[in-house]
Amino acid sequence: MDAQAIEKKPVVTSWQGVVRFLHKTPRAFLPMRTFPEIELIASRGIDGDRYLIGQETGFYSHKPEEGRQITLFEMETLEALKRDHGIDMLPEEHRRNVTVEGVPLNHLVGRRFRLGETIVEATRLSTPCRHIEEILGKPVFDPMINRSGLNCKIIVGGTLRVGDTVRPI
Amino acid sequence: MAKAIKTVSTVVSKVEDLGNDTKRFTLVDQDDWELPPFRPGAHIDVHLEPGLVRTYSLCNEPDDGRRYVIAVKREREGRGGSAFLHDRVQVGQPVSVSLPRGGIALDPEGTNVFVAGGIGVTPFISAIRHLDRRGLTNYVLHWASRGQPVLPDMIAPAIKAGRVRLYDTTEESKPIIAGIVGEFGGSGLAACCGPDPMLQAFEQAVATWPDDRKHIEMFTPPKLAAKSDVPPYELYLSASNKHAVVTPDMGLLGTLESMGVDVPVSCGGGICGACRVRWTEGLPIHRDRVLSPTERQSELIVCVGDCAGPRLVLDL
Ligand code: FES
Repeated sequence: MDAQAIEKKPVVTSWQGVVRFLHKTPRAFLPMRTFPEIELIASRGIDGDRYLIGQETGFYSHKPEEGRQITLFEMETLEALKRDHGIDMLPEEHRRNVTVEGVPLNHLVGRRFRLGETIVEATRLSTPCRHIEEILGKPVFDPMINRSGLNCKIIVGGTLRVGDTVRPI
Repeated sequence: MAKAIKTVSTVVSKVEDLGNDTKRFTLVDQDDWELPPFRPGAHIDVHLEPGLVRTYSLCNEPDDGRRYVIAVKREREGRGGSAFLHDRVQVGQPVSVSLPRGGIALDPEGTNVFVAGGIGVTPFISAIRHLDRRGLTNYVLHWASRGQPVLPDMIAPAIKAGRVRLYDTTEESKPIIAGIVGEFGGSGLAACCGPDPMLQAFEQAVATWPDDRKHIEMFTPPKLAAKSDVPPYELYLSASNKHAVVTPDMGLLGTLESMGVDVPVSCGGGICGACRVRWTEGLPIHRDRVLSPTERQSELIVCVGDCAGPRLVLDL
């Protein structure tokens, strides 16, 4: 990486966000249910979710992925989909576990941060999946490229609740 | 390696023998979770065993979101799907199904005229239950059966309210479709599902109607991730010495999967790069958004890729 590229790398030091919605589903393709709180298990995933390591039943169940124990999505993206593409997407439709507001997800890859009482580490940006269009019957694949959320590992587990604060460590 | 799950896992929770060679199967999630949503009159593919996949209309309504209900008549001359369901499928058995597809775009205001023959009534049962739940009465069903109709319990209120005209074709003549739909020539929606002669009569009767006001129930094939529009070509896998022909409906990825090749797939839409494969011969068509022009000279994103020539050789 050259010096210019390093300079351009966004430095996000002060931000604070909030957990707006929590969702999980036990198996591939099934609708997500909304919960007031979910249980994060360190190094494994969310209790009862399809990607819980050791009990995978998600879309990629044959490919346990270390770095996808919990997934996050920005409330702001739902607003942008509506504003820029006229698409109404509900928080339970993006198929990520946590909908946050005020959290710059795309800038957090490689960093650790606090989700309520828990700590997670962002591993990579999520990519949208073609199937989401089939599941929702809405043309969301293209608009979701580059803003499809964030995959994380759970470093410190605990209970995560709607309204919890999200902040840097 | 990744092999993406492509079907919804369900469990048979109920099997009812309705007589007249017809059984009704109720499929649910093992934990009674909501199932993927569907439109009134949608259909699903039921994966009975490898190579035996059959499509059936759902006869319950979208608001009944935790069950898929199908009704299957044993086809004596059939190709084995209905016999398998009748003879081998029992309560408690796991059954994989596709995401629901299709459905009827009901007219919320004009009259919806449904014309059904025998077990072809299933999509309209779904539609009628959907309309009934909303307190809507803007429909009429003309339903011809040989002998007793098989699923009247599912639309009992509609029958009681006089919105269903039943024809027992062992005792009276078949419905005159032109007359039935002709009455509604200027408005509403007409839909038909039944045996071929009935569909033909219906098609003739609504030939001049605009497309959005008529619905002929035909099962729509699953939507492909990347629609292939190239002629069939030969696929050769050089490392494993396997041949196959790629047809537009199978696509490249589908063909690889049917050959038992485990290609890692993630997005299925040409943006993540999980399914990149080396190619050595042919005229590959690149439709991805990941590879650079240089990479394309030796690699192909197979979830959206294709071949413009007669033969493609992949290093698999
Ligand atoms: S699976 Fe993502 S590019 Fe093919």
